[in-house]
Amino acid sequence: MTISGRFVALVALGVVPIVLLGNTAPVAFGLLSAWLLLVIVLGGIDLALAASPRALTVERMLPARVRLGESVTSGLYLSNSGRRRLVGVVRDAWQPSAGASTNRTPIEIPPGERRLVSLVLTPFRRGERRTLQVTVRSRGPLGLWNRQVTLNAPGRIRVLPPFHARKHLPSRITRLKELDGRTSVMVRGPGTEFDSLREYVRGDDVRSIDWRATARRNDVMVRTWRPERDRRVVIVLDTGRTSAARVSDEPRLDTAFEAALLLAALASVAGDRVDFLAFDRRVRGRVQGASGAALLAQMVDSMALIDPELIEMDWAAVPAQVRSITSQHALIVLLTSIDAAGASTGLLSVLPQLTKRHTVVVASVLDPVTVLAAGERGGRDEIYRAAAAERALLDVARVSAAIRQLGADVVTDSPAQLPPALADRYIALKAAGRL
Amino acid sequence: MSAPVIVGETDVATPTLRAQLRRSSFWIIAGAGIIVVAIVAVLVSGGANVAGRALAGDNPAPAGSMALVEVLRQQGVTVTLADSLAEVRSLAETDSTVLLYDESSYLVDSQLAQLTRLAARTVVVAPDFLALQSLAPTVGFGGVSGAESLVADCTLPAANRAEELIPGGDTLSLPADSPLMGCFPSGDNTFSVVANDRATLVADLRVFNNENVAGYGNAALALGLLGQSDSLIWYLPTLADLPRTGPPSLAALTPGWVTPVLLLFGLTAVAAAFWRGRRFGPLVAENLPVTVKASETMEGRARLYARGNARLRALDALRIGAVQRLASTVGLGHVAALEEIMLTVAGITGRTQAEVRSLLVEAVPTSDAQLLALSDALQALECAASRAVAAGVAASVSQQSLTDPAERMEP
Repeated sequence: MTISGRFVALVALGVVPIVLLGNTAPVAFGLLSAWLLLVIVLGGIDLALAASPRALTVERMLPARVRLGESVTSGLYLSNSGRRRLVGVVRDAWQPSAGASTNRTPIEIPPGERRLVSLVLTPFRRGERRTLQVTVRSRGPLGLWNRQVTLNAPGRIRVLPPFHARKHLPSRITRLKELDGRTSVMVRGPGTEFDSLREYVRGDDVRSIDWRATARRNDVMVRTWRPERDRRVVIVLDTGRTSAARVSDEPRLDTAFEAALLLAALASVAGDRVDFLAFDRRVRGRVQGASGAALLAQMVDSMALIDPELIEMDWAAVPAQVRSITSQHALIVLLTSIDAAGASTGLLSVLPQLTKRHTVVVASVLDPVTVLAAGERGGRDEIYRAAAAERALLDVARVSAAIRQLGADVVTDSPAQLPPALADRYIALKAAGRL
Repeated sequence: MSAPVIVGETDVATPTLRAQLRRSSFWIIAGAGIIVVAIVAVLVSGGANVAGRALAGDNPAPAGSMALVEVLRQQGVTVTLADSLAEVRSLAETDSTVLLYDESSYLVDSQLAQLTRLAARTVVVAPDFLALQSLAPTVGFGGVSGAESLVADCTLPAANRAEELIPGGDTLSLPADSPLMGCFPSGDNTFSVVANDRATLVADLRVFNNENVAGYGNAALALGLLGQSDSLIWYLPTLADLPRTGPPSLAALTPGWVTPVLLLFGLTAVAAAFWRGRRFGPLVAENLPVTVKASETMEGRARLYARGNARLRALDALRIGAVQRLASTVGLGHVAALEEIMLTVAGITGRTQAEVRSLLVEAVPTSDAQLLALSDALQALECAASRAVAAGVAASVSQQSLTDPAERMEP
């Protein structure tokens, strides 16, 4: 049961009779008790006449998924199986980060009918957003007292990573296509395969002229090559404690998601097989054997529920995980963070195992704040800040050098630039036939 | 986006009133039980440990006089308790007896005179100075009785029936030739009871209280004095007997509706609190992410440097960064030796080797000002180096373009 502002006003209105008629104390007290009795009786009658919200049945209509930053409409069907017309307010108890526009909706449902309450949700956090209950406040005809009942009506919506980096995809695909049919600049090696013959145009590398075909056609023919297809790409995501740190107000993990999605999209266009693994001490997410549109859908689906864990990454278990995915030569992309030498010992110790069989790229976010701080030398505090920043950059440089020495490749950039930089490195490796 | 999903099957989370009552029945019963026990306890103890007013007719405590009043009532005397003279005036009949015990001396001369006129008989218990002055000016105080036993020794019938009184109480003194009758003498013309035809003064109040009324002849004296007529007014003066002076009080000036209106406003506030405070359904819980900035470690290290005044350490960090940048500026790889880099930089920028060496390696800052100066000099050196390299590249390009034209003529 709840009361309304109108009831409060009605109670306060008792001042009028008490002041006008209550000249002596006993009469005034009598008027006060009479007025209180009157308003309580009125409220009780109102409550008794209000439709019972217990007679409502709730059905939900919800899209299963939404990409972060986009809006969806959540539908709530309320059927009144009671005998009275229900007038009141409905609150759908979504979690705050589901971004419900307004969750106080006035409704009016005649007996035996059904009404739709729609709510625009704009979630602002990745993951699964839930609602468990619907609360209905049913008003009486006088609008004094209300019946309030909470109905269990669970609903959930999965909020997928936004994949902002997809804006880089068209330009990268174009560059990938340019690799096809190129002759002159292409380094022919184990990573390229014969594509077709075509007429020589000025600018082609004379070394790629196929003399036998030229003799047959009476025209100068050149061989063209295309990059190899059906290579394996394994993306390993570090979801340990360092992935929780925020760089440019975005957790490292989310930047890693963006980079992984862009790389996966690009690699699947290029015809490579992509496997995805999110790991810290156990597997948090795994996508294997999917291709095309299903690959990205499965990846964002598994990413949606991954959150950084407050535990150290178990690098020693990574080679075994990779082996369980593929035994062939593959491009292994480790999305992690390169910090101090001490924190990277685990990574450095297992890299030789991986580089022996595979091509390894270690991608890490570089904090733009550190780079900026290294250049600011205004006063005493800023000098010390610059010194600390230089030291941090030096640490990154030393760990990067160590990783390169162990035969792996390093890509570091700011959060906005890391996904395209990783895609570029992939294209470069493909062009060089190192996959 | 996949197709919308319909979820049905709702049940009600809010319990019905009946279920709520059933669930909290234990507490309701327990609360009611506690209240009942409290009420019973208060009734049983009967406020016995409460002091109450001395000689009050409705006070069962040792100092009260309820016992006497109850016995009088059983004997058919109508006992009325009065708090003010106005009340006594409205109750008094021609044949009434009035008991007066003015513990706090509220009554003044005129009121005492009025009181004696109102009733046929007046019994004054433990009269104070003012009462003596007004009722029997010749009577004085006799101090505490020193007699072993107090025997009636007078013609007052009630005193004769009582025979003996509780010893050791206050007394009154009478002049030798007084027309008043003194009973229970303690010697030296001091008496415990002094009487004339309209008023009786009893000096010792213990004769009337619950604690002592049953002892000696106390009860006989009290009943004899008070039970002479059918109606007894038991009068203990209160504040209401004080004459009013000064302006009327605030309470008398305010209209009757003020207190109810204030009460109504209080109730309105309670209702408003309930209106605004009632939650629209249960709270929704959500786990929130912790915000950890990646640059926190860097900031922390900077603060450590600053707090420890680690000037040389800070400067060395800046120097290492500068040397690496200089190496790439002048075109030496990152594996180049420091000596080599310094030599090249000195050559390009036109500074002496000693100057460059001091800046990049040797100088030790002893104050923050020196640290600032060295840091600025490092930046200046980097700028100078990159400017010199840029100028050198431009010069070589222009030199090339100067020598080129002859060859460029031919395609």
